[in-house]
Amino acid sequence: MRNVFKSVFLVCLVTWAASVSAQTTTSFPVFNPPPCDFNDNFYTVNGFDVTNLDTQAAGRFGDFRQFGPPAFQPGQANWVADGNCSVNDPNRRNFRILATTGAYKDDDGAPTQFLSIIAFVLSQNFFLTGSNALNARNLTLQDILGVLEAYVAPSQSVNGVLAPSPCGTMGDGFTPCFPVTSVATPTLRHDWRVSSNRNAIDGSSSDPRKTPPTSPGFSYFGDDLTGSWIVTYFWWTKFAVGGRPDQPTPTSTCKTILAAAGKQNGFSLDGTPILHTGDELHFIEGVPGTAPQFGFSQNQTNALLQAQATAPCGAEGQEDVGGKDGGAVWLVCPTILDPRNGAIAQDAFLDVVRKNGSPIDARFQSNFSCLQSTGKFCNE
Amino acid sequence: MSEIRGSKHSRRDFIRLAAGAAASGLLFPERALAQQKTLKIAKWAHFLPEFDRWFEGELAGEWGKRHDTRVVVDHVPVEKIGALAAAEVAAREGHDLFMFPWPPAEYQRHAIDHAEVHRTVASKHGNLDRLAHRSTFNPASKKYFAFCDSWMPAPLHFFQDYWAEVDMPLGPVHYYSLRSGGQRLRAKLGIPCGLALAPGLEGNVTLHTLLHGFNSLIRDASGSVVVNNARTVVALQYVKDLYRDAGTPEQLTWGPSGNVRAMLARKTSATTHAISLLRAAEKQDPEVAKKILLQPLRGSGGLIAVPHVTNCSVVWNFARNQVGARQFLVDLIDHSQTLYDKSRGCNFPTYQKTVPDLIARLSNDPQADPSWKYEALKDAPRWTVNLGYPGFADPAAMEIFNSFVIPRMFMGVVKGERSPGDAAKAAEAEVTKIADKWKRALG
Repeated sequence: MRNVFKSVFLVCLVTWAASVSAQTTTSFPVFNPPPCDFNDNFYTVNGFDVTNLDTQAAGRFGDFRQFGPPAFQPGQANWVADGNCSVNDPNRRNFRILATTGAYKDDDGAPTQFLSIIAFVLSQNFFLTGSNALNARNLTLQDILGVLEAYVAPSQSVNGVLAPSPCGTMGDGFTPCFPVTSVATPTLRHDWRVSSNRNAIDGSSSDPRKTPPTSPGFSYFGDDLTGSWIVTYFWWTKFAVGGRPDQPTPTSTCKTILAAAGKQNGFSLDGTPILHTGDELHFIEGVPGTAPQFGFSQNQTNALLQAQATAPCGAEGQEDVGGKDGGAVWLVCPTILDPRNGAIAQDAFLDVVRKNGSPIDARFQSNFSCLQSTGKFCNE
Repeated sequence: MSEIRGSKHSRRDFIRLAAGAAASGLLFPERALAQQKTLKIAKWAHFLPEFDRWFEGELAGEWGKRHDTRVVVDHVPVEKIGALAAAEVAAREGHDLFMFPWPPAEYQRHAIDHAEVHRTVASKHGNLDRLAHRSTFNPASKKYFAFCDSWMPAPLHFFQDYWAEVDMPLGPVHYYSLRSGGQRLRAKLGIPCGLALAPGLEGNVTLHTLLHGFNSLIRDASGSVVVNNARTVVALQYVKDLYRDAGTPEQLTWGPSGNVRAMLARKTSATTHAISLLRAAEKQDPEVAKKILLQPLRGSGGLIAVPHVTNCSVVWNFARNQVGARQFLVDLIDHSQTLYDKSRGCNFPTYQKTVPDLIARLSNDPQADPSWKYEALKDAPRWTVNLGYPGFADPAAMEIFNSFVIPRMFMGVVKGERSPGDAAKAAEAEVTKIADKWKRALG
C-alpha cells in the first residue's frame, strides 16, 4: 500500500514538474501556473451559457482566434493546446493562453496588471437564466460582474478626425462617431484599466467601515471565479475634441486639462492623453469632490471642476446589455492573481497598444520582461 | 424586555408608590382606569394596510396591556405627515410619538435626545447600523434627534417578460440600458418605462438615487453645496432623454403611488419603489407578480440608492407621556423580526442581529415565485445610503428632500422649461438658501 502511495505521489510530482517545465526553463522558483481557459462545466456552474461562448463572435480562446489579433507578429499564436492546464487546475481546459494583456490598476495607475481576454460576452444571452443562473452561493453572475469594471479606451480617430462620441446607444446620435463593436487591441487608443476591488480583506473591496460604503462587497478574486468584467467605455467629449456643430472646437478648460494630462501621462494613439486611474477619469468628467490630478492645485481643481459643469471633458458608458451595440458588454478576462514565479510563461507575449511595433507605455514591457525572465517585477 | 429608566427612586419611594398603586388599583378599579396612562402615536400609513392593522391591533394593543396604557395610533398618509408634524410643533401639542418615513432632522429642536433609547437597545441588540445612525444623529450637538427601527430598500422593479422582448431577460442592469432597452420596448410593445418623476415620495427617492448613480452630490460631506456640477447636468440630460425616448406623460402627473398602480396594471415596464409594490402584486395577482423581478440599477457612481423609507420616530420634547414613548421604542426593537415578517419583508432591521437570517429569508421567500426573487436585495444594506449622503441627514438635507428641490429640478428639464445647466444652477441657488438658513438657525 505504501508503495502505491509512493507511486501516486511520484506521478503527481512528475506531472506537476512537467506542467510547469513545458514552457519554462527558468532559474527562478516556479509555482504559479500560467493562465488557461476554463472548462465548460466551470463556466456553467458559474452562470455562463457555454453555447454562446463557443461562437465566432464571442471568439473564445481554444476554439477561435488562435492567430491574428491580439497576436501582432506573423505566425504568433494567442493560445496553444497544453495538457497540463487541467492538471494544474481541474477547472481549466487544456488550452493555455499566450496573449497576455497589460492593464493599469485603477486606484494607483500602476502598469502591473496582466490578464487574458478569453472571450467577449455580447449580451445577456450569454448568461443562464432562472434558477440555473444562481451559482452555489445563490449569486448570479450578472450581479457579481456589475461592480467589477474593466475600462476600455477605443480609438476616437475616425477617418483622421477625432469623433467626440461613440456610435450606438452610448452615443449622441451624430456623426462622426467612433465604433464600439470591438475591443480588440488594434481598435484601442491606449491600454486597459481594471478596477481594484480585488479581495475582501485587503481594503480594496467595498468596506462598510469606509466612506462611501456603497456597492456590494463583491471582490474580484473572491467572488468572480471566471475573472470576468463588465466593460466601461470612456472617451473625450466634444468639449475636449470638438467635432460637433454646436461645439466645433475644444473649450479652453478642456484644452488646459488635456495639455496637463498629456504632459503627465503621455499621449495615446489618437493623440488624446492616456488616463491611468479612476480618479483621473472622474476629474475629466467633473465629478464633484475629485482630488487634484495632473499636477493641478486644489484651487485650480475647484475651478476646473466648476468650469466643466456644463461642459465636461470626459464621459463614460456601458453597452446595451441586450447586445444592440454589437460589442463586448462583458468580458471573460481573468486577471492573473500573481504574475510572478511562472505565471508569465516563457512563450507568452505581451498584448498592449503599440505604435510602430513598440508599446506606447514601455513600463508594461519592462514589467512583462522582468516577470518572464526573473519571475519578479523589475523593482523587486 | 429592556426597561427605560425614569427618575431614580429610593426603596422608600418604591414602597410608597407600590402601596399607593395597590390601593388605587385594587380597591378602586374604575379609578385606576381613569388614571390609566395614554400613549398617542402618529404613524405614517404603511404601504401595506395589513401591517398597520397588526401594528395597531396587536403590537400597540398588547404593549398597552402590559404597560397599563391606552395606546392610540393614528395612521397618517405619507403626503400629510409633514403638515401634521409642523402643526403639532407649532402648537406644542399632539402625539407623544411621531413616526416619520424619513429622518425628521428639521424638528430636532422639538425632540428629546434619544441617546438613552439607543443605549438601552444597544445593550440588548448591539449597535445600530450606519444608515440609521447617519439618519438620526446630529454630529454637532452629539444628540440623537430620532430613533430609526427599520428602513426599506428601493430597487428597480421590472417586468421580466417585457424586457425579454428586447433581449434583456435579466433586466436593464444599468441606467444606459434602461434607456436604450426602454426605448426599444416602448417602440415594440407600446409600454413605457415608469420611473416616478413628479414631486412626491416616489419621485424624490427615484431621482435622489439616480443623481447619486450618476456620481453627483447635492452637498458634499462637509455640507458645501455642490449640486451644480457636470454629473448633475449629465443626469438631467439623461432623464430628459429617457423620458423622451421611453417615457409617458403620466409620469409627470402621478400622485402618491401612481407608479405603483401603473406597474400593477402592467402599463409600465419598470419603476423604482419599495418592495411593497411586489408584495401588493403577490396579493392581488400572483401571475403579475411572477413576472416582476428586482434589480438595483448601477451607474457611473456604482450601485447606490437612497432608502424608500427610513422609519424614524421622534418623541416630542413636549410629549405628555415621554417615558411611555421611549419605552415603546425600546420594546419595538424586541419585535424587529415580527416587524420584518408583518411588513412582508419591506422593513429591513436597523439592528441586524434581530433578523440574523435575513439573507436566508431573502433567498427563499415563501410568497415569491421564484422563491429566490428577493435575493437581489441581499446587499441592499451596502448599496443604500442615508438621505443627506455623504453627510448626515441634517435639517438642510431634509428640507431639500421635503421641499422636492431635486424632483423639481428634473421636472423643469423634462418639461423643457429649463436647460440642464440652468436647472442645476437654479437648484444650487435653492439648496444654498436652505443650507444658509439652517446654518444661521443652528449657529
